[in-house]
Amino acid sequence: MNKTWLAIGAIVVLGLIVWGVSSMGGKSADTSTGPIKVGVIVPLTGDAAVYGEPGRNITQLAVDEINAAGGINGREMELIVEDGKCNGQDAASATQKLVNVDKVQVIIGAFCSGESLAAVPVAASGKVAMISPGSSSPKLTDVSPYFVRNYPSDATQGSVLANIAYTDKGYKKIAFIQEQTDYAAGVYTAFSNVFSGLGGTVTNEAFPTETSDFRSIISKVKGQNPDAVFIDTQTPAVTGRILAQMEQLGWKPKLFVSDILPGDTKTVEAHKAILEGTLAAEVGVDPSNPKFAALLVAYKAKYGVELPFQSYAQTEYDSVYLVRDAILAVGNDGTKVAAWLHTVKDWQGAAGSVTIGTNGDPVAGHRPEVIMAGKPVPYVK
Amino acid sequence: MDVLIQIILNSVIAGSIYALAAMGFNLIYGVSRSFNLAHGVFASVAVYAVFFLAVQHAILLPIAIALGIFVAVFLGYVLERSIFRPLRAKRASNLVLLIASLGASIVVEALIAIFFSSQFQTLSSVVPSFGAVRIFGGVLTGVQVVMIVSAPLVLALFWLMLSHTRFGKAVRAVSDDEEVAKIVGINTNAIIGVVFMIGAGVMGVAGILTGFDTGLDPRMGFLLLLGAAIASIIGGTGNVYGAFLGAFILGFAENFGVFFVSGEWKYAIAFSVLILFLLFRPQGILGKK
Repeated sequence: MNKTWLAIGAIVVLGLIVWGVSSMGGKSADTSTGPIKVGVIVPLTGDAAVYGEPGRNITQLAVDEINAAGGINGREMELIVEDGKCNGQDAASATQKLVNVDKVQVIIGAFCSGESLAAVPVAASGKVAMISPGSSSPKLTDVSPYFVRNYPSDATQGSVLANIAYTDKGYKKIAFIQEQTDYAAGVYTAFSNVFSGLGGTVTNEAFPTETSDFRSIISKVKGQNPDAVFIDTQTPAVTGRILAQMEQLGWKPKLFVSDILPGDTKTVEAHKAILEGTLAAEVGVDPSNPKFAALLVAYKAKYGVELPFQSYAQTEYDSVYLVRDAILAVGNDGTKVAAWLHTVKDWQGAAGSVTIGTNGDPVAGHRPEVIMAGKPVPYVK
Repeated sequence: MDVLIQIILNSVIAGSIYALAAMGFNLIYGVSRSFNLAHGVFASVAVYAVFFLAVQHAILLPIAIALGIFVAVFLGYVLERSIFRPLRAKRASNLVLLIASLGASIVVEALIAIFFSSQFQTLSSVVPSFGAVRIFGGVLTGVQVVMIVSAPLVLALFWLMLSHTRFGKAVRAVSDDEEVAKIVGINTNAIIGVVFMIGAGVMGVAGILTGFDTGLDPRMGFLLLLGAAIASIIGGTGNVYGAFLGAFILGFAENFGVFFVSGEWKYAIAFSVLILFLLFRPQGILGKK
């Protein structure tokens, strides 16, 4: 009796393994004639939805333009948008769904670094290409042949700011207040490596994402008397909470913020007094670029509001066109699209000239900015 | 020195909010003998009601606050009538009550997220700025002063109610033994219902004050509940005065933990304190063996 059950059990387990393996690996390239499905993973709930919603709108806008111009070789492009909730767990299950249920060959995203880090292995095992327009953690550099990004690594954000802090400003001691996410940790590591290399010291107070009471962290940092404080959070809402509590405690230190903040006009405007003179490094936009200018007009016309988070908007917009060009060149096949994306050189988009290196990172960087009267302006020494 | 004073003030602020949350939680635990994991939603619904009325519909703040507390009280009544009383009548085990309350909490949290989005919001546009109070180099905002005052005030009211009114006597009788209380003619269902409403109202106050202080998101109630549950166990489950004590121990442990160790250890410290108490004094400081 026992042996019979064991045998049945073994068959069931074996069957599951075979089914699992076949459903993961056995996909063939898309040869049908219906719309070409492309996956999108952005955060649509939580504090990070402030990026995800415009992200979804912009990718949809680009797809509508492409379809209006005849699609890809006569086939329409269709987006399947999933909510990655800015965390690895939800992004991984969103990727599972896109790869195994929707059978997409290309995924645009994910947006948050934590999402991408978890999604890449899932996409790679399903031989699906990913292009992220927003994930900037240095850990994503050369992470997989199936992953590229057209948004630069935070390694440059960290080094640009560390050099300004040490060389231009003469700061010797910087205190980080860092949210415990992959993106924020990446900014901290990049900054800290360069700044300590120059001879400065960096302290770090990390906190879990759901923290809302920062008073004791702020009081402690204040007591350490740093030359400047680097507020390094995943979302503008959290930076806003920290700024509000600094204001309550009547402390106005010299500040650095990560590149999530300058694009959030609402938070910057609300805290412009304490943010005056704050340094940040963003990818930056070029309004004289006709493609970017056209995106500004098209977004306003379609959604009725100014284009938010413009540094991300340009890469999100470009990522759709990069995917179109890849599919035009090599067909809707994850492996081939991923290989093509690794060879992009001097491609012209809303973000200007795009070149992607063999490590999957764009050859471009962050430009320093300073917040003046509630607006980010280019930094001059 | 200034830093230390500020950390002490921060501990007192956190302790006061935990105290408001924990006293109601423990009062309810006392009469119902089950952990009400839905206690946190009373805070969330109250503060979202204030947000809805005062921020989104420009209704006068005092009216919005009163209605916010009323919404919490009403939800307390509804949950007691629709979930806890029927389950008690069926003699459901504590585990069933625990899971049911967790379910209720998740449902309400999800509803709030659906109607108001799960994004972080603030009430700063409607909070009157009382300015800041300086105490020995530390800073307190007006809202924080209200928090610190309301915790002992509620404690005093609870003491008056429990030891000087007929209703309080009945509550204590139900807490001691519901069966016996019923036999001597106390309408235990009515007592438990009223206790739920009182606990929910106090939790609503805690939620509104937290919303004024730092802002609101749908998960805030659950985080307050965690603090309340830990404070209750430290202080002695079912004991309102113990909850007050436990809340301040938790507030000090968390904030001094941030000061001496690091912010990322906040929850680890809170739960370590909880485990230490569970291991060495499971009945809590003021609990009976």
